[in-house]
Amino acid sequence: MRVAVVGAGLGGLLAAANLLERGYKVDVFEKLPFNGGRFTNFHYKGYEISTGALHMIPHGSKGPLAKMLRKVGAKVEIVDSKPNGTALYRGEEIKVSKKTFPLKSRLKFALYCLKNVFREVKLSELEKNLDEFSAKFLRAFLGWSLSLTPSQLSLSDVYPIYEATYTLGGPGIPIGGCKAVVDALLEVMESYDCRVKREKVRAIRMESYGLSLHFRNTSERFDAVVSDAGPVETYRLAGLNVPKLEESRGIKYSIALKEPLIDHTGVMFTLDTRRICGVNQVTNADPNLGERHFLMAHQPMITSNVKFEIAEGLKDLKEILKGYEYEVLVIQSFSDGWPVNRARAGRDCSNETPVKGLYMVGDGAKGEDIEVDGIAIGIERVVKEIEKEVEKR
Amino acid sequence: MIVVTEKCVGCATCMLVCPSRAIKVEGKAEVIQEKCEKCKKCLNYCPVEAIKWVE
Repeated sequence: MRVAVVGAGLGGLLAAANLLERGYKVDVFEKLPFNGGRFTNFHYKGYEISTGALHMIPHGSKGPLAKMLRKVGAKVEIVDSKPNGTALYRGEEIKVSKKTFPLKSRLKFALYCLKNVFREVKLSELEKNLDEFSAKFLRAFLGWSLSLTPSQLSLSDVYPIYEATYTLGGPGIPIGGCKAVVDALLEVMESYDCRVKREKVRAIRMESYGLSLHFRNTSERFDAVVSDAGPVETYRLAGLNVPKLEESRGIKYSIALKEPLIDHTGVMFTLDTRRICGVNQVTNADPNLGERHFLMAHQPMITSNVKFEIAEGLKDLKEILKGYEYEVLVIQSFSDGWPVNRARAGRDCSNETPVKGLYMVGDGAKGEDIEVDGIAIGIERVVKEIEKEVEKR
Repeated sequence: MIVVTEKCVGCATCMLVCPSRAIKVEGKAEVIQEKCEKCKKCLNYCPVEAIKWVE
């Protein structure tokens, strides 16, 4: 069984490592000169700046990604955030636990869940009925984790995420940042003598024997193709009608701080802001991620005017960091071909495609969880499908 | 000359990899031509193919 993986993002590399471990022959193709896609980092001015994701894994060392990394033998150390999160509200940092929220709001939330499990009622309906703190926390939490606002989401979109957070716990920071995960996977692949090939796939075609990948001058045969190129690009490569996807967009700030702002490894959600939803001082978990204290801040894009959104975010940062000496190292915006999420929460595509033997992994084809943990769930499904296909033969 | 086209999303990957620090990103990437050494690294690293070379 020969499998091709298109794209060396986290999804592609994780799929490759899984398939190699099961004894398949795997080839990975990547058009860019670097691996990891939106889940790696570059050294810049003394800091490890990520290409996309925050240096975080949504459910830390207990989540689906961590579990999968252990299974394939990828050595990554993940520091679980402690506490999971705090909230900056009216100038004070408050530790967030269940009890932080007034009983009335907790009951409203439970009632809202019961009433709307099977209905498409926006979360803004819930937000209206909460006390100020809970409402602002909901907004900050969704903005930080999904880059979306309550009016863009319904309960069915977020319930699986809520459940996963409840059972698996909060986030963790990989030692070495996003790139450490990518490097560990590349090492696993190398142990099977598999290296990423720097080639741009031009087309994926169905043939009588399976599938073929077409490059600039050549083509190659495969039994199955796992695409990590995102649903839009995958369908385009396969010559299918491109699906309409609603992506999520956001802006990330990498900030160097002289004195620390936060004294823990968790996220501090910022509640009294225009745009910024939270900050995380990642050097608290791994001092090697930056020369000094390294703060990451994130906001969703509310309007499509990027310059305006950045101006609003910078105003927020000025207020959050009042009295601190800081330098904004990099401001990155994520949309279109390089978004926060190719499909917004709850709208991921199926891992299967109309083409037999062509599967999708990665962002845009995640399972029932967020970010890289959702990616791991999607891959588990694809590997199972491929195994089933092999058994049939 | 290196030019940034409309396709730029402002992800700043070019800025991170530029060896001569000749790229500024504020919403979109901008090449500081006086500093640019025309190594074309940004062009290769751009994930959305927004950077072009024009003679």
